[in-house]
Amino acid sequence: MSNNRVSRRQFLGYTLTGVGGFMAAGMLMPMVRFAVDPLLQEKAGGDFILTDQKVADLSEEPVRVDFAFEQVDAWYTSEVTSSAWVYKEGDKLIALSPVCKHLGCTVNWGGDPEHPTQFFCPCHAGRYEKNGKNIAGTPPLGPLDEFAIEDRDGLVALGAVKANTLVK
Amino acid sequence: MLNKLYDWVDERLDITPIWRDIADHEVPEHVNPAHHFSAFVYCFGGLTFFITVIQILSGMFLTMYYVPDIENAWQSVYYLQNEVAFGEIVRGMHHWGSSLVVVMIFLHTLRVFFTGSYKKPRELNWIVGVLLFGVILGLSFTGYLLPWDMKALFATKVGIEIAASVPVIGGAIKVLLAGDSTILGAQTLTRFFAIHVFFLPAALLGLLGAHFIMIRRQGISGPL
Amino acid sequence: MHRGKGMKFVGDSRVPGLQHRKPNIPKDYSEYPGKTEAFWPNFLLKEWMIGSVFLVGYLLLTVAHPSPLEGQADPTNTGYIPLPDWYFLFLYQLLKYEFASGPFNVVGAIIMPGLAFTALMLAPFLDPGPERRPSKRPLPTGFMLLAIASIIFLTWESVVNHDWEAAEAQGKIVEEVEIDTADPGYEIYSGSACISCHGDNLEGAVGPALTATAFTAEEIAEIAVNGIERDGEQVMPPSWDGSEEDLKVMTEFIDGLSE
Repeated sequence: MSNNRVSRRQFLGYTLTGVGGFMAAGMLMPMVRFAVDPLLQEKAGGDFILTDQKVADLSEEPVRVDFAFEQVDAWYTSEVTSSAWVYKEGDKLIALSPVCKHLGCTVNWGGDPEHPTQFFCPCHAGRYEKNGKNIAGTPPLGPLDEFAIEDRDGLVALGAVKANTLVK
Repeated sequence: MLNKLYDWVDERLDITPIWRDIADHEVPEHVNPAHHFSAFVYCFGGLTFFITVIQILSGMFLTMYYVPDIENAWQSVYYLQNEVAFGEIVRGMHHWGSSLVVVMIFLHTLRVFFTGSYKKPRELNWIVGVLLFGVILGLSFTGYLLPWDMKALFATKVGIEIAASVPVIGGAIKVLLAGDSTILGAQTLTRFFAIHVFFLPAALLGLLGAHFIMIRRQGISGPL
Repeated sequence: MHRGKGMKFVGDSRVPGLQHRKPNIPKDYSEYPGKTEAFWPNFLLKEWMIGSVFLVGYLLLTVAHPSPLEGQADPTNTGYIPLPDWYFLFLYQLLKYEFASGPFNVVGAIIMPGLAFTALMLAPFLDPGPERRPSKRPLPTGFMLLAIASIIFLTWESVVNHDWEAAEAQGKIVEEVEIDTADPGYEIYSGSACISCHGDNLEGAVGPALTATAFTAEEIAEIAVNGIERDGEQVMPPSWDGSEEDLKVMTEFIDGLSE
């Protein structure tokens, strides 16, 4: 087994590779961690925004709830206004996004006199059922998105937008 | 005077062989449009390089005014285009050049493909060339966002969604490109700026160097 | 030339002494067989002449067509129809087809372009034969022609299907106009369907901005009631369902903004 002895040249070669690897890692590790930071940052997700809509005032009829929140994009904070269509189904609170899934216009509850119990998008006459299901034959491609919603001391609090869970 | 200067440098560094190799290399008849007009197809590579040089230069000068910040980016582009002397031309060179360079590199690729020049022993240079194509497209994509106007923002949204549709790692790619999992904003712009101005040009220069060294090493492929 | 052991160097540097140097004399033209040319200066001069012509055309282009700049990016504008730079149009168009969108998005977005790019990169290994003429290697030639044809076709489809007029309007740089939100005209506006498409400040969203419209109050009223029909397509739906008096107040308010 004496053939397998590491020669001086090989030894120096391995050492050189090791030291080179150390230097590369030492340089790149902080930089790579720096670059991938957004990926690993803990999102302050599920933050609910308190609106001034009283839960007690809600009914089966969707009402429009406007709210504003501070959007933090790293060092840039901006005030974003948005709205939601909120109603009760039994005891369950439901909030739908008003953004039409066709081209992103804003939908209105009962906006079309001929269909008073549907959401209506005035841009291209897209319609949705009360649970957000898009009506076949109208332009939208999918159901309206849904907000996470909470009853917070009698007031409606809205969370993140997610895909519609009411439409089966 | 210039000769003396040359001799002075040459005596110390022996630079003659370096450039004589480039200067004296032979250009065969079949690539010379002066002899066969159809040989103009061999010009596309050179024109790609020419526009690349223009892109690098005009880009360097554009950063004298441009700021990669969502509040000021658009303002600075508007200013440099409308208020600065020749701003329209400098931005025009960079803007139209980005289209032209894509056209030229596409034509160059087709020329190499249809003349079969990628075959042994030039496989490696072909691969470097395709990588260069990719880098150029990456530069176009990242550069499109920088003026921070409407079409830039929304085209980039679509582009990032496309990147996000990669199975498994798509979400991570999206965050790495945009800097945030939902917002396309301040961090996206700085990231795209860094990629457009430092990372991709570094890759471009390295690959270009390899491309040219290999061409000088192997010479141009023979006639069909 | 003497190389190796015993070679003389300049002073204490590795550069060989003058007697070992390659002389700085260009190759004689007789060393170039047939119509072969020296790169420097013969061929380079021709290249640079082509380059000069090209550069002049290029500079003329930059002067004749100032590079486009649309209005500042507004992430809250939800009605903007995005359009990539023209050389990505074919990819954009591909994603509109059913087999490459929705649940099959990954096919159009990743698999097809990925396969094409990989195949291009591996061309020397997919087509390893010694034959170089395109006609003698029909498969690679065929695939490439097919790829070019589909790129041209998809780009073409995308261009004809895009509403260029709307695209120009939606990207226009709009000067901000102070809106008097206490104006009775604005109150009517914000209570009507108009606001959902034309924006809280009439800055435009899905519909165009109304701050600098060329229409008169009567024409605006006409449009609000009947919508706009262009080429048999309803580009703006009939939107007004209020009273005649309110309409007059609102259209005069809108008309007043553009003065």
